[in-house]
Amino acid sequence: MPATAETYSLGAPVEIGKIEQELKKLWREGEGAMTRASLMNLAAYSEQPGSLNDNTQLMAKITEDHACRAIVIEADCRSDENRVDAWISAHCHVSHTGNKQVCSEQISFLLKGGCTTQLPSIILSNLDSDLPFYLWWQGELHDPMDAQLWEWVDRFIYDSHDWKDFRAQMALVETAQREAKQRLVLCDLNWTRLDNLRFALAQFFDHPASHHRLAEISKVQIDFAPGFTSTALLFVGWLGAQLNWHIGEVKSSRELRFTETAGQHIDVELREHDGQPVHGVALTSGDVEFGVTYANCGDLLEVSRVQTGEKRIPQLLPAGNNDPVDLISEELIRGGPHHVYLNALNCVRHLL
Amino acid sequence: MNRSAEQQMNPLREGLSTRAVPQPCAIVIFGATGDLTHRKLIPALYNLAADGELPPAVAIIGFARRPKSDDDFRKEMEETTRNFSRQPVRDEIWKTFSQSLSYHQSEFGDEAGYKSLGERLEKVDNERGTRGNRLFYFAAGPDQFETILKNLKAAGLNRATEGSWARVIIEKPFGTDLASARELNRVVSNAFDESQTYRIDHFLGKETAQNILVLRFANAIFEPLWNTRYIDHLQITAAETLGVEARAGYYETAGALRDMVQNHLLQLLCLVAMEAPTDLRADSIRDEKVKVVRALRRITGLEVAKNVLRAQYTEGAIGGQTVPGYRQEKGVDPKSMIETYVALRINIDNWRWADVPVYMRVGKRLPKSATEISVHFKKAPAVLFNRETVKIDQNVLVIRIQPDEGISLRMLAKIPGTSLRIEPVKMDFHYGTSFGKASPEAYERLLLDAMSGDATLFARRDEVEEAWTFIDPIEEAWHAKKDAPELYFYPAGSWGPEAADDLLARDARAWRRL
Repeated sequence: MPATAETYSLGAPVEIGKIEQELKKLWREGEGAMTRASLMNLAAYSEQPGSLNDNTQLMAKITEDHACRAIVIEADCRSDENRVDAWISAHCHVSHTGNKQVCSEQISFLLKGGCTTQLPSIILSNLDSDLPFYLWWQGELHDPMDAQLWEWVDRFIYDSHDWKDFRAQMALVETAQREAKQRLVLCDLNWTRLDNLRFALAQFFDHPASHHRLAEISKVQIDFAPGFTSTALLFVGWLGAQLNWHIGEVKSSRELRFTETAGQHIDVELREHDGQPVHGVALTSGDVEFGVTYANCGDLLEVSRVQTGEKRIPQLLPAGNNDPVDLISEELIRGGPHHVYLNALNCVRHLL
Repeated sequence: MNRSAEQQMNPLREGLSTRAVPQPCAIVIFGATGDLTHRKLIPALYNLAADGELPPAVAIIGFARRPKSDDDFRKEMEETTRNFSRQPVRDEIWKTFSQSLSYHQSEFGDEAGYKSLGERLEKVDNERGTRGNRLFYFAAGPDQFETILKNLKAAGLNRATEGSWARVIIEKPFGTDLASARELNRVVSNAFDESQTYRIDHFLGKETAQNILVLRFANAIFEPLWNTRYIDHLQITAAETLGVEARAGYYETAGALRDMVQNHLLQLLCLVAMEAPTDLRADSIRDEKVKVVRALRRITGLEVAKNVLRAQYTEGAIGGQTVPGYRQEKGVDPKSMIETYVALRINIDNWRWADVPVYMRVGKRLPKSATEISVHFKKAPAVLFNRETVKIDQNVLVIRIQPDEGISLRMLAKIPGTSLRIEPVKMDFHYGTSFGKASPEAYERLLLDAMSGDATLFARRDEVEEAWTFIDPIEEAWHAKKDAPELYFYPAGSWGPEAADDLLARDARAWRRL
């Protein structure tokens, strides 16, 4: 049992059949000094060499705010060997009230060969009972995936930004969703990346006096970083789906024209610049421009509403970070399905 | 708990986990140089701004007597916010937030000061886009309320223009008895409708207090047991290690019963004892809460001595440090008969709670600070394990309000071994352990609710007045010239007088050990 506040080590190696037994021993040794907490099973799967250590570091940070049983899996699917190595460890943090050492356990696996066949048995036999199961899949999905696994997954977390072929990968995700006998919630970190921007833009229209502005939007400009076209398109898809816009003309990959129900056209311009994944959004509605852009410090958004003859009052809002810990944390504090994501996705599916 | 109308109507809000930002507004704080403003209100507003929960068009105007410039006020607020804020103050955010702060110097009784406040608010509407929405926060002493209200009304600031709103937040005490509470309510209602009035009880803004309804009505396992058939009794404890501190002036006119029981503890009891509301609208919940207060059996005359006990702390030790007795505290009458401790035995005369006594205790200078509600279930039938030779404890569900918010359930388990030995074990849920994120301060939640027009966590006029009809007969008995019940004494650092233990011992029960 680690006695320090944090540890990134994989911990003690264990035999596959003795994991639960060894975990119990681990907690027994630390009894009194620390409290074990767990609200969910969170499994991170990656085929990236070295990911076991990288994900252990991420889990150490994630568990500061989200007590869970962490299951970290690195798979070497091309290996000629067919073996599984396992380790157990604990991530301990002083609670925010400052009087307790709160610990989450981690089970780590290194899979060699036969990944897709080994995976369900490895995961299913090591879930903490009665807790929801979140599977965080890093990188590309395989075809075919084992249907048995999906039946157990409550939330499937992926980052569509990492996909080379969006449509093919999305087809696999949707197959998984069909195969899951229970309702599987799809959680795209590429969508989570937009949460703070969406919030910053939405708050302009909370006041009933601003609602009519939504119907008068004529122009949208989105600034995004190279490699984040899909993120920017999801943002466009969100506006389109929520405001009942239908895509009309695709002038170029950077210029789109939507039509709203009353027939008004909305021109959308996507501009590629260095910066945050989506670092600025401007909506023009009549004589008002609603703007959201990253402030210089990088973790705040500057929002402003500019109308002819009115004083501009900028406000700073949290921007969040684009790092995996923040994105996953954002996703873990949410509940419920992501209908809005699916609607946004469907609105721009053919452009992705 | 209400979903605001704007959240339902703004399509871009759908699916966002953050609540809708309230409408732009100007917040006027009366008593801007006081402790409450420095320690709680401005830090709470700053935290809301830092979390992106405040509207961009917000203006905060401090109203007080002392001469001060806007810049001086901002500097003072920055200093105290840096000391008392839940999260560290970030320079960039403070810079933007502080632009919304300004200071308005005036005597509370000076009509001209309200006229110029009105002009200032109009200017703010134009400059900052606050749209005529006003939130008046009374952080001044209750003796100033009437003056402020009359002047607000005279200046026409109590009325909102069409499409805007004007609301008032009032801090406790809501009167000192039923007559004064009615008078205060009358004065308030001369200027503001009940729908515009928000009586703040910071206990209700605490995460665990809000969780009581979730615990009871979102879990199927508790509600079927939540009645006279399965519950033996309830205990509510609010203990604090602090003495009267700098509040002697107020406390000498109030005492523990008025200061804590009339508001905080009865509010907690309502949440524990109320029936399920038909929906989560503010009035649906408050309708059910007020029924509980109405159902409290009034304790009058000679019954007071039997069911209510008052006591005062004497010199003792807290945490190894000697502390003076109440009568030796600065500003306290050396012959003071004010109670710093109260214990009550209460009955709720309704179908659900018939024959389930509620024991309440509140005290200063007790060994530790803790507020909790404990639900003591009836014992299992006296067969099998419940034989005379085996002492069986009750199952107890504890809702910890502060500190270390959480819920625990005590149950019985067999001690491993060849013989049958049964001991209580505890299943424990701690907010701090399960959820890494710190909860917002009660004032953050309550300010945001008032700005959003959600009165769920605020006391309604009838709740306050009904509570006084329960408290008044006790106070009357204590202050009767003849046969007034005894004032007991307890040393600081103890759990109160022995007589408080006797109150439960008579019913073959005991206070829960905290």
